[in-house]
Amino acid sequence: MAQTDQTAHDAGNARDDDVVALLMRQHGDIRNLFDEVERTSGDERREAFRSLVRLLAVHETAEQEVVHPYAGRLFDGAKDMVADRLAEEKAAKEMLAELDGMDPEDPGFMPRLRELRTDVQRHARAEERYEFLQLRRRADPEKLASMAKAVRAAESMAPTRPHPGVQGAAANMAAGPVAALMDRTRDAVRKAMGKKG
Amino acid sequence: MAFNPLEQRGIPLDRQRRNWRELSVMPIDPDRCDPYTRCRIITMNGIEVEAILFSHQFARHCPDMDVKRQLAEVRYIEAQQQKAVNWLLPGVSSVLETTIGYEQVAVDLTAWVARMEPDPYLKQAYQFGVLEDFDHLYRYANLYEMIEHRKAEEIVDNLTEVMPGRPTPLHHRDPMDNVRDPYDRQTASPLSKLHALTIMSAEQQTMNFYMNVGPTYMEPIARDLYQEIGLIEEEHVTHYESLVDPGETWWEQLVHHEYNECYLYHSFMEQESDPRIKRIWELHLNMELEHLHLACDLMRRHDGRDPEQVLAPELPNVLTFEPNKQYLRELIADQLDLTTLGTGYVREAHERFERMQQQLNGDGKAPSDQVLDRHREMFGREYRLQTEGEHPVPALREQ
Repeated sequence: MAQTDQTAHDAGNARDDDVVALLMRQHGDIRNLFDEVERTSGDERREAFRSLVRLLAVHETAEQEVVHPYAGRLFDGAKDMVADRLAEEKAAKEMLAELDGMDPEDPGFMPRLRELRTDVQRHARAEERYEFLQLRRRADPEKLASMAKAVRAAESMAPTRPHPGVQGAAANMAAGPVAALMDRTRDAVRKAMGKKG
Repeated sequence: MAFNPLEQRGIPLDRQRRNWRELSVMPIDPDRCDPYTRCRIITMNGIEVEAILFSHQFARHCPDMDVKRQLAEVRYIEAQQQKAVNWLLPGVSSVLETTIGYEQVAVDLTAWVARMEPDPYLKQAYQFGVLEDFDHLYRYANLYEMIEHRKAEEIVDNLTEVMPGRPTPLHHRDPMDNVRDPYDRQTASPLSKLHALTIMSAEQQTMNFYMNVGPTYMEPIARDLYQEIGLIEEEHVTHYESLVDPGETWWEQLVHHEYNECYLYHSFMEQESDPRIKRIWELHLNMELEHLHLACDLMRRHDGRDPEQVLAPELPNVLTFEPNKQYLRELIADQLDLTTLGTGYVREAHERFERMQQQLNGDGKAPSDQVLDRHREMFGREYRLQTEGEHPVPALREQ
């Protein structure tokens, strides 16, 4: 688990000028956090789950604000392709909100979490294969870079990996429920996009 | 527990065809499966692919219409077996995840075969090859973390170490130095023949996989790395296929193929941890017993020889997927600087090797080195998984 932290931490050093590369790495970070929740217990699990909620909320919101609207205009039928992804995200968001209201030590928590994990993983691969591929094919590098900026703005508003010791479980809890976090992320992204014109 | 497949009868051929419902297998869960279950799936896919390709080649050289038809009958079943096996791999896995599974197979399957091989020349061939696949695993693991932010330990699960082997750029040898001497079909142990066929098939499938999935990547570094390692897999197929005695008749080769499939399905049935997958190995074993029986009949009829003369009296010990960490560390310490010269091995870089190296690596770094540079740029370190301590070669320890 220490190594999982290390990957996300080192990732800070990685430059992401390309929104697709950035989002694909977030897919990996999300999967790493699922691992962490499954492998820990007690407060450690609660904290890992808070991190997972934050990252999922930030990631999905950024995709909905930045990536899907653009991808939906890229080619004939793109709207329908995006609609499929949005439906998956909506279902995941509902399951996430449900889990968010549960205690991670509740016996019903892990089975539900695994369901969410499976759905999120399928959704992520579908994005990579059907949506991101089109983005790379059709969007110019500048557009990919400006979208990456907006996604990073979302990340910075709701840091997904508070440095251990700097922010603990309390800070994580202060992030509040899923819906509020998504709202704040949306505002941050829109602000970043607005600046870009 | 002696098991002689020649004395068993399997499922009659006319009852082996499967419908769509039977072919529609449920894939394994990549986050929860036994990594060696994935390894067994990848291995058996390679074995079935070889069965199909070999049978096609045989048919193209066979003027006898009845034999052609029987080959087609059995081959269709093998094609269904290949589908049922390979479709156990999940669609949610990325190509790179599957690739790391392929390299785990190459490392732990080849290491096990090297340990068990009775013939010293053949053993050396496996020891030589495994150190290259070991290094491929390390290079792909670095690419995986760059692209997907995941660590290869989530795939290999601490069963296989991930660290430098013989450096990949040095795998590019003059093709003529990739051809080995064959075993002698009259004197070789039956186990040696099974080993050669198994490793040749696994490497051939790896070659096929990389040559086809490589260009599906968008990232230039990924495309380049698959191209480089894909070329090395071709060298490995040359290396391993040349171990097989070309004097074996087509009939004899067919019998060896079918016998080997019985051996491997039996082995994997014995050790499989997932009961659902174990039932598939068992079903396929029962199909293969019949394929073997038919192949033996062909050999008796057309070769005028008894298959018992060329086969083992009973199945050899179960071929096992298990960690080979210490064995690999010893090989790394002893054999990292080997290359091939003619059909032998040397420690010094000879003229032909140097020329090939100059042609391939003389104008800019190989992709396998670029991937490490890029990884260090991104993360300030390499990706390694060293569960048993420092790298055995001091020069290859991470600074």
